[in-house]
Amino acid sequence: MSTDTGTDTTSTTGGPGAPTAARGAAGPRRPARRGPQRTGLAAGLLLTPFFALFTVAMLIPVGYAIWLSLFTQKLSGLGFEGPRNVFDGLGNYVDTLGDSAFRHGFWVLGGYVLFYIPIMVGGALALALLLDTAIARARRFFQLALFLPHAIPGLIAALIWVYLYTPGLSPVVSAMHSGGIGLDFFSANGALPSVVNIALWEWLGYNVVIFYASLQAVDRSLLEAAAVDGAGNWRLAFGIKLPLIRASVFLVLLFTIIGSLQLFTEPLLLSNTGSSITSAWTPNMYAYSEAFQLNDYGRAAAASVLIALIAAVLSFGVTRIANRKGARA
Amino acid sequence: MSHSWSRPLRTAVGAAAAFVSLAVLAACGGAAQAPAEGTKAHPVTVTFWAWTKGSQQVADEFNATHDTIKVKFEEIPSGGLGGYPKIANAIKAGIAPDVLSIEYPSLAQFVSQGSLKDLSSYMTPAVKKEFLPQTIQLTTMGGRNWAVPSDASPQIFYYRKDFFTRHHIALPKTWAQFRTAAQQVKKAAPGTRIATFFPDDPTFFQTMAWGAGASWFTTKNGAWQVDTTDAATRKTAAYWQGLIDAGLVSTAPSYSPEWTASLKAGTTVGYLGASWGAGTLAGIVPEEKGKWAAMQMPSWDAAHPSVGMSQGSTFAVSKNSTKTAAAMKFILWMSTSPDSVRARLSASTSTALPAAPALVPVARKAIDTSFYGGQDLYGLYEKAGATIDPDWLWGPTAAANNTLRDQLHGVVGGSTTLPRAITITQSATVAALRGSGLKVEDAS
Repeated sequence: MSTDTGTDTTSTTGGPGAPTAARGAAGPRRPARRGPQRTGLAAGLLLTPFFALFTVAMLIPVGYAIWLSLFTQKLSGLGFEGPRNVFDGLGNYVDTLGDSAFRHGFWVLGGYVLFYIPIMVGGALALALLLDTAIARARRFFQLALFLPHAIPGLIAALIWVYLYTPGLSPVVSAMHSGGIGLDFFSANGALPSVVNIALWEWLGYNVVIFYASLQAVDRSLLEAAAVDGAGNWRLAFGIKLPLIRASVFLVLLFTIIGSLQLFTEPLLLSNTGSSITSAWTPNMYAYSEAFQLNDYGRAAAASVLIALIAAVLSFGVTRIANRKGARA
Repeated sequence: MSHSWSRPLRTAVGAAAAFVSLAVLAACGGAAQAPAEGTKAHPVTVTFWAWTKGSQQVADEFNATHDTIKVKFEEIPSGGLGGYPKIANAIKAGIAPDVLSIEYPSLAQFVSQGSLKDLSSYMTPAVKKEFLPQTIQLTTMGGRNWAVPSDASPQIFYYRKDFFTRHHIALPKTWAQFRTAAQQVKKAAPGTRIATFFPDDPTFFQTMAWGAGASWFTTKNGAWQVDTTDAATRKTAAYWQGLIDAGLVSTAPSYSPEWTASLKAGTTVGYLGASWGAGTLAGIVPEEKGKWAAMQMPSWDAAHPSVGMSQGSTFAVSKNSTKTAAAMKFILWMSTSPDSVRARLSASTSTALPAAPALVPVARKAIDTSFYGGQDLYGLYEKAGATIDPDWLWGPTAAANNTLRDQLHGVVGGSTTLPRAITITQSATVAALRGSGLKVEDAS
């Protein structure tokens, strides 16, 4: 079910769906000369593969998840006769929302976002602005070096970090230990920063590249004019460049929020290492454990649908704010 | 708990259950079932899922020596790494194989989901007599037999003989002596610990409680009785909390890189494992050959040694199988035939103790014990097997293990304690079982 959530939530980001839909809408307007029938046919032909895949890989699984979430399996007696599938209405949703483990997952996420988003967005912006200054050297090298961690799949990255966090195994931990720093990356207080660190390492370079690309698109004559007027590097960065790339800042913010909601791989791996990360640490892990450890598919589906709904509401909110700001600017 | 369950009542319930099961068998089995054996031209094909090393060789050996039943083996990921969800999904989808390998701790979960065939009619008194009685007890729920034992896995304590001898540390026969020994080990070499309390695997603690005489789950009056806070469990919880608080044991996760690194470095000089662990250990630190030895797990009462069983596996038949009779022929051959043990050990160095005592000499002959200085491991295992406490049953839900696992993270992290963890496990388990519709009696 967790994979369903993955696809659900990406659909709400407007990832694969939005551009195609926009193209479709723009389609019939332009070539009015050729007659609407042929255009309609061409558009239909071109859109069919997309809609076929969209239906099979998105609509049907989402529909099935919603269907599953309305049922529950009831055993009786000692359970030997097997479960009966019972229609439960919104019972699974009520139970999921009533489960303190599920709600606790959102507190964890809240803490994660509080840590992660400012460091990520701030750090990526700072690095991109540094790269974009006239005094920066070896730009290509730094761009590549910063982006490189992102080329490593999340699972592998998490494995590498688990190794680096493990006491008795990690050279970093033993070096810190001999330096008198007894930091436990797996402890109750250390787990959240440990996960944030992995995510930062993976995604910082990616976002730097996005920011850097939009900084490159800033009209150079504007910068030159400002420089002539006596603006220094700081003034250029915060007074001119930053407001001009606001759109990509919001884009990164949106993706980062959605990505945070789907936090799963890294904590799941860390939870197997004796760290203080529990089986339902994040909402996605809750859905996973309900489905694959506790065999309760109805509850897992309900949790997944709830996560998708929350992601939809959040992305709607962020997009609205972004649009309003964009219109004002 | 089950001691208070009088014998005549037990027999009566057993008989009633057997009658019901026969009626159910007659009602839904019968016509759809394939014959026990096919012919040479048209053998019955039995499908088999397992992850144990050597299973392919066992299936090959069976096929080489049988021509009316053929086995098709497929290797799946081990239970905890996706094997059990795979089995559960296949059963839901109606595409599960005939024969499944399921470990004791997970058996009741499959039974209480109605995923397995009742094998009572095949487990005649003569068949049952071939197995260690405790393993039959562990596969019997509600008076019916749900699986055939493959191995028995009494707890065993492995230790660095050279370290214990060099520092004149007496071998611990009781848990009180174990604590003393743990202190001596720590004193002899400050960075070194006697053994590891595995916090990631809740069955480690449960098995310790089992050895102390705990009984978390029983089936009585058609309901699951749950008590994860009985006197034996409370005693075990307090004891291990004391060791953890005093820093006398390490708390690395089981079989983790952290744990193996400490074995290689010699900073962990003991391993609280089970019979099958000897092969595992020898595989992890081959360079420490000759330095290790095995002994009976410490007990609470030296005069009456008692241990639990760590993991261990069984064979079961899935609910959808239409070839129960043929599947049972294959299963009983796997669990009781010397050929099967030899085939398994041709590809595996597992020191599992066969659940059928008659097969022990075969395993003893096939296993090289030079890692343990030529010690007679199987002699020790047989003795340890006889001390397995017979009154334990694993629970019908993963909730108990899940809750306890989450709690154990907090225990080693210092945010909670074992005595508190078992109380929370009790309420979470009862709630989860009630939620699923099972009949439950909170026996705590």
